[in-house]
Amino acid sequence: SYYIYRVIEDPEWSLATVPHLTELCLQHIIHNFEKNPILDHLLPEHQRKVLDRLSTDLPLAVTANLISDEDYWKRCCTERWQACDISNYGDSWKQMFFERHLENILRCFIPNTTDPNQVLELIPLCKDYVRKLEVDQFLPPVQMDQKEERDDLSNTGSDFGFGEVSIHHYDLGVLITALPHLEELHLTYGVKDCGMNFEWNLFNFTHQDCCNLAVAVKMCHNLKVFKLTRSKVDDDKTRLLVRNLLDHPCLVELNLSHNLIRDKGAQAVGKLINHSRLQTLDLCNNQIRHLGAQALARALAENSTLTSLNLRLNCVEDKGGEAIGRALLTNTTLKSIHLGSNNLSEPTAMLFSQVLAQNTSLTSINFSCNHLGLDGGKQLLEGLADNKALTEFNLRLAEVGQETEYLIHQIVWANREAARLGSLQHPSAKPI
Amino acid sequence: MAAAAGWRDPAPAPAPALSDPGPGPQERIAARRRRLDAKRREALGEDVELKVAQVEEEQRRSHKQIEESRQRLAKLLFDGTQMVTNIQVAADLREMQRRAEEAELKLQRVEKLENEAKSSTYKFEEITSKWALAKEMTIPQELWQLLNQQQQQCALLLEEKNKLISELQQELKNKDEQYVWAIKKQSDDIHLLLERMEEQIRLMLKNYRHELLQIEKAFELERRELLDNNRRKWEEAIQAHNAQELEYLHARMRKVEEFEKQLNQLRVQDEEEYNSMKIQLENDVQNLERQLQQMKAVYQLNQEKLEYNLQVLRKQDEENTIIRSQQKRKLNRLHSLLNNLRTKLANQEKQFREENHSLAADCERITGQCKEVQRRMRHFAISDAEKFTEVWLMNEEEAKGLMRKALDADRVIHTQQLGLPWEEPRYWFLNNTGPLGHYKVKRMATKLAAEVLTESSSGGQEEEGREKEKEEVGSGEGGKENTAKVEGRVTPLRNISKKTAKRILELISDESGFLIESKLLRSLQALGRHERTLMKLDSIFAALEIDSEDDLYQLVDFFLKYKAQEMAVSQSQGSPGAEDVTDLAEDREDGGSGAQRNKLKSPRSLLGSLPSVYFHADDVLKILKAFVRGFDKLREKDRSAKEVLQVRDSSKDEEYWKALAHVIPKPTLKLWDALAVALEEYYEILMQRASLLAEVDLLQQQNSELCLLLEEYISSGVNSKLLFPPTKWMDLNLSCPGEAQWVPRARARLFSAPS
Repeated sequence: SYYIYRVIEDPEWSLATVPHLTELCLQHIIHNFEKNPILDHLLPEHQRKVLDRLSTDLPLAVTANLISDEDYWKRCCTERWQACDISNYGDSWKQMFFERHLENILRCFIPNTTDPNQVLELIPLCKDYVRKLEVDQFLPPVQMDQKEERDDLSNTGSDFGFGEVSIHHYDLGVLITALPHLEELHLTYGVKDCGMNFEWNLFNFTHQDCCNLAVAVKMCHNLKVFKLTRSKVDDDKTRLLVRNLLDHPCLVELNLSHNLIRDKGAQAVGKLINHSRLQTLDLCNNQIRHLGAQALARALAENSTLTSLNLRLNCVEDKGGEAIGRALLTNTTLKSIHLGSNNLSEPTAMLFSQVLAQNTSLTSINFSCNHLGLDGGKQLLEGLADNKALTEFNLRLAEVGQETEYLIHQIVWANREAARLGSLQHPSAKPI
Repeated sequence: MAAAAGWRDPAPAPAPALSDPGPGPQERIAARRRRLDAKRREALGEDVELKVAQVEEEQRRSHKQIEESRQRLAKLLFDGTQMVTNIQVAADLREMQRRAEEAELKLQRVEKLENEAKSSTYKFEEITSKWALAKEMTIPQELWQLLNQQQQQCALLLEEKNKLISELQQELKNKDEQYVWAIKKQSDDIHLLLERMEEQIRLMLKNYRHELLQIEKAFELERRELLDNNRRKWEEAIQAHNAQELEYLHARMRKVEEFEKQLNQLRVQDEEEYNSMKIQLENDVQNLERQLQQMKAVYQLNQEKLEYNLQVLRKQDEENTIIRSQQKRKLNRLHSLLNNLRTKLANQEKQFREENHSLAADCERITGQCKEVQRRMRHFAISDAEKFTEVWLMNEEEAKGLMRKALDADRVIHTQQLGLPWEEPRYWFLNNTGPLGHYKVKRMATKLAAEVLTESSSGGQEEEGREKEKEEVGSGEGGKENTAKVEGRVTPLRNISKKTAKRILELISDESGFLIESKLLRSLQALGRHERTLMKLDSIFAALEIDSEDDLYQLVDFFLKYKAQEMAVSQSQGSPGAEDVTDLAEDREDGGSGAQRNKLKSPRSLLGSLPSVYFHADDVLKILKAFVRGFDKLREKDRSAKEVLQVRDSSKDEEYWKALAHVIPKPTLKLWDALAVALEEYYEILMQRASLLAEVDLLQQQNSELCLLLEEYISSGVNSKLLFPPTKWMDLNLSCPGEAQWVPRARARLFSAPS
């Protein structure tokens, strides 16, 4: 009778416009998803519909462990951030969402002001998905009013205790140890975009922070990559970190670039090289001099795991350079070495010509921005004459002369071609 | 985030970003190639090598294109990367220079500060030293002057410091400016970097597109060529195939024709065969039909025959029924007859029973007669025996006479004819007189008892008794055999100790007085003890019908055995013991008389070992009773056995007589035979000689007559007339007439002999 009535009353009305009951039910489910999340019991096509229409504002407590659909998390990500490249996040939108969400919270965390539960509550939700943590900002405890943060959260609690309050940063220990799948940790103890509010103590990586971090990293057994950059890590802190990283079961890459590491720290790192499985070591832009370089060279001579070493922007000078060169005469695993901007000169070039003649594992050498001189360049050219392994040799701004550079470039180019063909032909010479 | 990182550290970021697309496709292509190749290798194995070469040849153009593009792009990429990273390198260099300058400036500054600090400390010390001087000052003007000086110097020092500070601040300001400039420169650098990166990306994209197009074109071209080639090949193959098909078709047609021909031929052959076969089969059918007709006829005939037979059989059956009824009737009749016969039989049986009774009476009578006859026979037997001995003796005498004669002849032959010494042979039978064999002369039981009794009284008597006995037994015979036999018979008695025997006999005599007649008893009183006992025993034996010594032995044996059994069996089993005794007695009689003795020996020898067997007087009656019971039965058998024993054993007789006949031994007889033959021959020769002598006489007479005749002939005149007178050769004969005459005469004798 209702139909009849409707039909009589409204000639344009048709049954097609009436939504299906299932549709209505799904609508209802979507509206009340927060209170009553039903997903697993639905048919696949209905699940699809529900997921497509679910709001991205739903609390994570509801969605985190329930929804594994990538499209939903893609929506969440794209709505929240403009640039999204999931290749950095294991090709998983969900992982990306949780990692970036956690990073955001950590970036804006102000010790003694922000509620630590904010992080702790998130742990059970995200612990299964977070594999990489990349935090490029740690805020110090609030001391003054003039600090202006871009985030709203930081503006909330402003005037709190003054100088008496500790200036330590957030202790990652609780969080990191609760993340069982964490494999990468990139940290920078500093403040971004401070602008005219710049103050030195904003960039203070305290000893206590270092202790906390070292203990936390030690507890994190699955960690493979550890990067601590631009954090004013000095020798003491390096030693502290190294002490805790000794014999770490998984650690493969260590990056301590843009710090204040001197010879003592370098010695400690040299010890670490032979007490771990490190394959990549980045110490660029530190203050390592020849003593530290010699320590590293000693370690390198015995080591058989390290494949890449970066000492850019240090001042190892010829003594350090020669020590490293001598180590490379015996080492057979290192593939790539970066000694750019290290005040090297002819003696190092002489030694490295020997290295190039003997070593067959090195594929990449970077001597840019040194004072090798014309003779040094010629020496290197001679050494390179019989080398078939080297595929990259950077001598830009090394004062070796254009001709030498060109010849070296020719040889390296030929090596690279040969290597490429070798890699092609080795399995088979068959074209498609 | 990556972008943000890129801002901060622009140099390393673009390098991987740009280099990513470059090697990417190549690596992927390589990987794909590797994978495909691995698969093909697995599938095809070694053949791959050859194919690889071929394919390489074919696809060289595209490959070359790819290679060229790849190289061009790689170079481009490298150049681009170089260009982009140049900025970083430049920045590095700048930074290094800055650091060097900074270090230098720092050194200068530190030096300057140290110098200033040194000078200022020097001045300060000067001032402070003057303060000490001021304490010593007492004059206010001087003090004021000094204070002023100090003030001026302090002001000077401060001024210097301030100047330094202002200088440093100036430197700081410169640094700030430198910093700002550096920031600006860096931002410029970053902008430049970005620009270059973008440009690079654009360029790369364009180049990649271009190269891709080129490669595709090359591939297209190659593909077209390949297609053309393949099509050409395909068409050629198709044409070849068609030609081949046509050829096959032709061949096939030819074959079909051939086969058709063959088929036709085969068909014709088969038809012929078929026809012949058909004819043959039709013939067969006709034959079979004929046979069928014949068989039908036979069948009908048989049917008729069988019907006839059937009728005959039916008739026979009817007859049989009739016969059966007749038989039944006959059977009934016979039944009645049988009944009659039965009644008759009953009557007859009754009759026969009566007859039997009468016959039984007859039989009894006849047995009585028979017994009498037997008695008579026994009598006759005795007389026969006597006669027999008489005849024997007579014959023996005669035989002995003959024997003697023969022996005499033998002696004569030996001594007279042969001249050998002769010895008279000695044979056992030569001395024998009377019939052979010996009756068992049974001593009477009483005699034996007396013997026993007397023997026990004295050993010498025993010997005598035996002597006597021997004489008795061997009277007339006197052979060793007999003595041995007698001894064999006596020995058993010896086995029983004489004491025991005596005692038994005495017991019997004492205890069985009731068997003796009262008259006799009375008369016995007068006699001596020994005699009395004997007499008593005599009468008792008479009552018990114990006649012979055997019986007596049996009695004694029985006593002993009874006693032995009594001892073995407990006293309570007295009566069964008695029965056993009877059984024993029976056993004994079964064994026969010959075996009896042997049997008796063994128990006796056993019993002999119990010399002092004590017999109770009370038992004697019991034993006697048992004995008599068994003995009666025994007696019956014994009697016949005895009779058998009394029949003479004639087995030895023949031997005896033969021995008598052959008193001359065989070798002697042979000798005699040979002698006889030889004598015969001798006699014959003698006879011949006698006849020959007579003949010789006759011949001599004839010879003389013939000589007379010859002389007559020769003297006559006829001879002279003859051409060939016999006298001529007869002279020779006449010269020796004696020898020549013998031959014809002998011949004549030979001729005359048969006639």
